Amino acid sequence: MVNIMNLSVNIAGVKFANPVTVASGTFSDAWDMKNIKQLGALIPKTVMLNAQAGNPPPRIVETPSGMVNAIGIENDGIDAFITQKLPIYAKMGVPVIVSISGKTDEEFVIMAQKLNACPSVALIELNLSCPNLKHKMLVAQDAEATARIVALVKKVVNKPIIAKLSPNVTSIADIASAAEQAGADAVSMVNTFQAMVIDVEKQKSKIGNFTGGLSGPAIRPIAVNMVYQTAQKIKIPIIGMGGIANADDALQFIMAGATMVAVGTMSFIEPDTALQVLNGIKAYMRAKKINDIRALIGFLK
Amino acid sequence: MKNQFKLKILSNKKITDKLYYLILEPGKLAAQVKPGQFIEVRISDGLEPFFRRPFSVFRCQKSVELFYEVRGKGTEILSAKNKGEVLDVIGPLGTSFSLPSKKVKQVVMIGGGIGVAPFMALSDTLNNKGYELVLLYGGRNKDYTFNMSEFKKNGCKVFVSTDDGSVGVKGKVSVLFNKIKADAERTMIYTCGPRAMMASVQDFAKKHGLKGECSCEEVMACGVGVCLGCVVKTVNGYKTCCKDGPVFRLDEVVF
Ligand SMILES: Cc1cc2nc3c(=O)[nH]c(=O)nc-3n(C[C@H](O)[C@H](O)[C@H](O)COP(=O)(O)OP(=O)(O)OC[C@H]3O[C@@H](n4cnc5c(N)ncnc54)[C@H](O)[C@@H]3O)c2cc1C
Ligand SMILES: Cc1cc2nc3c(=O)[nH]c(=O)nc-3n(C[C@H](O)[C@H](O)[C@H](O)COP(=O)(O)O)c2cc1C
Repeated sequence: MVNIMNLSVNIAGVKFANPVTVASGTFSDAWDMKNIKQLGALIPKTVMLNAQAGNPPPRIVETPSGMVNAIGIENDGIDAFITQKLPIYAKMGVPVIVSISGKTDEEFVIMAQKLNACPSVALIELNLSCPNLKHKMLVAQDAEATARIVALVKKVVNKPIIAKLSPNVTSIADIASAAEQAGADAVSMVNTFQAMVIDVEKQKSKIGNFTGGLSGPAIRPIAVNMVYQTAQKIKIPIIGMGGIANADDALQFIMAGATMVAVGTMSFIEPDTALQVLNGIKAYMRAKKINDIRALIGFLK
Repeated sequence: MKNQFKLKILSNKKITDKLYYLILEPGKLAAQVKPGQFIEVRISDGLEPFFRRPFSVFRCQKSVELFYEVRGKGTEILSAKNKGEVLDVIGPLGTSFSLPSKKVKQVVMIGGGIGVAPFMALSDTLNNKGYELVLLYGGRNKDYTFNMSEFKKNGCKVFVSTDDGSVGVKGKVSVLFNKIKADAERTMIYTCGPRAMMASVQDFAKKHGLKGECSCEEVMACGVGVCLGCVVKTVNGYKTCCKDGPVFRLDEVVF
């Protein structure tokens, strides 16, 4: 008899068939969707309350083993998302995690309420890499602001909430801890690292927005360490990401303490990366005779 | 991914110091390509260079053919690949040229440099359909010019300009615009090349009320419309070059 392998994981009562998902902003219905059904969850690009055109081009530039992007959350607004995109994602048959970002506390609350009324939304991810009004930093760079928004949203929804954290901080574990205390059901980490690339020939930035965020395999070891440091400090689950290109990379995040892993930038280079990661994790578990993925989560102490 | 293919290189020939001509086996790809569409090529198995590189399909009748300029590290690596090696490609991607309406008599293709590439596939399709086919080609110098016999075989009248006058007429391709019949109903323009060149074509078309299409070029990551990295500014807002384009209505793009 074949040994039954358990790949399923659980975040705040929501069950995922496996721990592999796609990172916000690196997946949409423009993708060939055939393989998506096999993943644990899907996370579409961050939506905002109102439609936004995004940043002027050039928006991307490649870097050693990665890329810098400044897309500027080009999106059609939450209402268009709910009526036009959500039904498409809901049909995939895997839990849908919707990422939202607000320009104000109020906007986060309004969007969360709208999503709370949608049965096809499994969890809500708060992209906190947004300006923190009155302060010259991002919400995700300020433990108090992070806690404030998590608590506000938590008050108006009964769906689980994930706080997506920025790595551009002194101690990401402290911010994660603030999110946990405010009631977050999970944290998702890491977003991109603030970065810039200069065109010395043209003597200007290679990014229309001047600076952008670095992602891809270049950031992976830093992200793994951040997940590890954070896992030592919080009890809620972590969705780990940052440069995952294969099962080995994903297993590093899991052993460092991530309950789920998300594939981002590498899907642009190899569209089937997330699926290959999933298959590779299965092969690893078979080879190591591990029956339950949960035995690997935070394995490294 | 369903439109990802591993295709064997049948040949990869140097045409000039700058231009190369690559032929891939057709696989299941060739039959699906429409003129103007492109493929995303994985240059190396590793992570350098990081992005795939987009190339228009030059020809797709019996094989998948690319005509490319060695510009930087990616195309440099591509130019060193040998017959028998396998290329990992995704495609066909993006929009294709729309075919001229029945009323059209003269079809003018205006290519700047390697921007001429998609016009071979277009002329393969339009040949023998009763149009007067005209190709206006502008290159920098003789490194960027090549034997136009294949275009001529497709029934194209070919006119060439170079910046330094080493081949054809001296000047930018706009010196050849006098070959265009300024007839709003019966002329259709297609253009691909540097921004400034396409802007001059747009001006000309606007002045004479001519319809046309242009194929744009931007740095791309995903190639399928997911990352929103390759946007082109249009009168209708930002549009992705890879999915909403690369072929746009000529009057839509803000150069
Ligand atoms: C839809 C589409 C179709 C194309 N078809 C062809 C084709 O048929 N034949 C062909 O030779 N080329 C084509 N290109 C261009 C080709 O993709 C680039 O020349 C190639 O990616 C350059 O790679 P590289 O690594 O050699 O150069 P890099 O090292 O990446 O760049 C060298 C220099 O060129 C600039 N550059 C690179 N890519 C672009 C770009 N996309 N737009 C503007 N500047 C750029 C860089 O800023 C740098 O200065 C096409 C591009 C697009 C978007
Ligand atoms: C082009 C691009 C767009 C992104 N857009 C978003 C976004 O809208 N919301 C978000 O929370 N993260 C966004 N991210 C960040 C990713 O979700 C992810 O956190 C980060 O890229 C690290 O993972 P990776 O290295 O696997 O890509 C984006 C990343 C890229 C490359």
